[in-house]
Amino acid sequence: MPQYMLALYDDPSRWPKLSPEEMQKSIEKYMAWGKRPYVVQGKRLAGDNGRVLKGANGKPRATDGPYSETKEVLGGIYLIEAKDYDEAVERTLDHPHLDHGTIELRQLYS
Amino acid sequence: MSPAELNTANDTGGLLEHLFRHQSGRVVAHLARVLGPSRLDLAEESMQEAMLRALQVWPYQGVPDNAAGWLFRVAHNAAIDAIRRGRFLEQNTGALVAELTRATANGSGDDPDFERQLRDDELRMIFMSCHPAIARDSRVALSLKTVGGFSVREIARAFLADDAAIAQRLVRAKRQIRERELTLDMPHGADLEQRLDSALETIYFIFNEGYSAHEGEDLIRQDLCFEALRLGRLLAGSSIATPRVQALVAVMALQAARLPARIDEAGDLILLEDQDRARWDQGLIAMGFHYFDVSMRGDQVSEYHAQAAIAATHARAESLTTVDWPVILELYDQLLAISGASPIVALNRAVAVAKVHGPAEGLAAIAELSGNPQLRDYYLLLAVRGHLLLELERREEAAACLRAALECRCCEPERRFLRRKLAQCAAAPSSRGSVPGLAGRAPH
Repeated sequence: MPQYMLALYDDPSRWPKLSPEEMQKSIEKYMAWGKRPYVVQGKRLAGDNGRVLKGANGKPRATDGPYSETKEVLGGIYLIEAKDYDEAVERTLDHPHLDHGTIELRQLYS
Repeated sequence: MSPAELNTANDTGGLLEHLFRHQSGRVVAHLARVLGPSRLDLAEESMQEAMLRALQVWPYQGVPDNAAGWLFRVAHNAAIDAIRRGRFLEQNTGALVAELTRATANGSGDDPDFERQLRDDELRMIFMSCHPAIARDSRVALSLKTVGGFSVREIARAFLADDAAIAQRLVRAKRQIRERELTLDMPHGADLEQRLDSALETIYFIFNEGYSAHEGEDLIRQDLCFEALRLGRLLAGSSIATPRVQALVAVMALQAARLPARIDEAGDLILLEDQDRARWDQGLIAMGFHYFDVSMRGDQVSEYHAQAAIAATHARAESLTTVDWPVILELYDQLLAISGASPIVALNRAVAVAKVHGPAEGLAAIAELSGNPQLRDYYLLLAVRGHLLLELERREEAAACLRAALECRCCEPERRFLRRKLAQCAAAPSSRGSVPGLAGRAPH
């Protein structure tokens, strides 16, 4: 079964506005979605900007990650199984993240 | 799996209901005790940081085994970081960090001594939040925010106020804490009695706010009831509990038991007498009777005792016809004797008079109240009067009363109730409905 990567983008500035109860409810919704049988795994990215490595004239160099100009940043990823893009989209459409954020869907090469 | 199926799966990821809210109250109380009440903001920010971290990580990596302990630890680490960053310039930084570090080691386990310490911290926070130096509105907001883990917006929604007003109350409360140098020390002797009264009053106020009928019956209002019950039980379980604390918990549990039966599917109010008693929460009734029994040990009789006894008499009756109205009337007499002449209590008493001695006597009891300025434009007084007049077949007077009641400030379900009643005035005689006033609105 082909695998798809969901990259979840979010606007962190909305988080502090949530109450403890709302935070818990939000977590519970994500957790419930994450328990579906076709979800392979989920990973949260650390909150830094990472590094960008580039080869320049045969001398690879690492620089600090790009500062995102947009409000939305990549927060985490899930891997899911689906037979094709249609099914992958259908399985992602009701992800609670879409109440406020963006999901980028990419098929993994198999 | 469809979204509907997902919802019915009721998968909460293994989190206890209201874990964040309750743990927030606990951790903030603990941090505030260690850091000092003037740094309540830092305590709240540290807990907020821990919950934000959970919000970011748990959806992807899952909930840690000890979720409460995780939040406790991360909040403490956030506080330690803030202190190390030199958020304040004091000599005792090292001692603070040491105490927070020690707490972090304890807070994740199930050490019963440390559990006791945390409950004690919450208790201290309730007592400080209810200090008489703080205005009552601010007391309520502060208790709900710090110990209850409610947000400003949630408090505002529950009290039908706007966010800015609630935020203002919190700012004022915190300023009073700083200016009056309030501490989290437990008061002693006469101070303790006074503070306990203030705490009980605040808790009962929160409960009644949640209990009174309002438009839409927002769930947040029920949350207020259960939070008040939780705070009451916290007090009742402590060493400073007196019989009146137990009695207050009994009142709240017995009244909260009726919440599921109070609104029908159309959102209309169902009066106590018309409620389907099978829908009363038996667990809460059992809890109420338990606390009521405990409250009877000792010779103290408070207004909460009388209220609890009234609620217990209703809960004990298996059906409407077996409600012991003479006992209830006697209890209202006692309540009036203890709490002074609260006009709302007197109005509820008048309903009991009508039940025992007939509608004419009830009307006479109400007549004494109609001059009371506190009850002017109070829809329930007019509604009760209209109802009793209707029972006496004085239909035109009854209709005039109910029309006047509709002019008063009341919420939409109450308005619908009045209109139904008004329709009865024009309809065929002898439709003996129920008496309003005991609609479950707790007398103040």
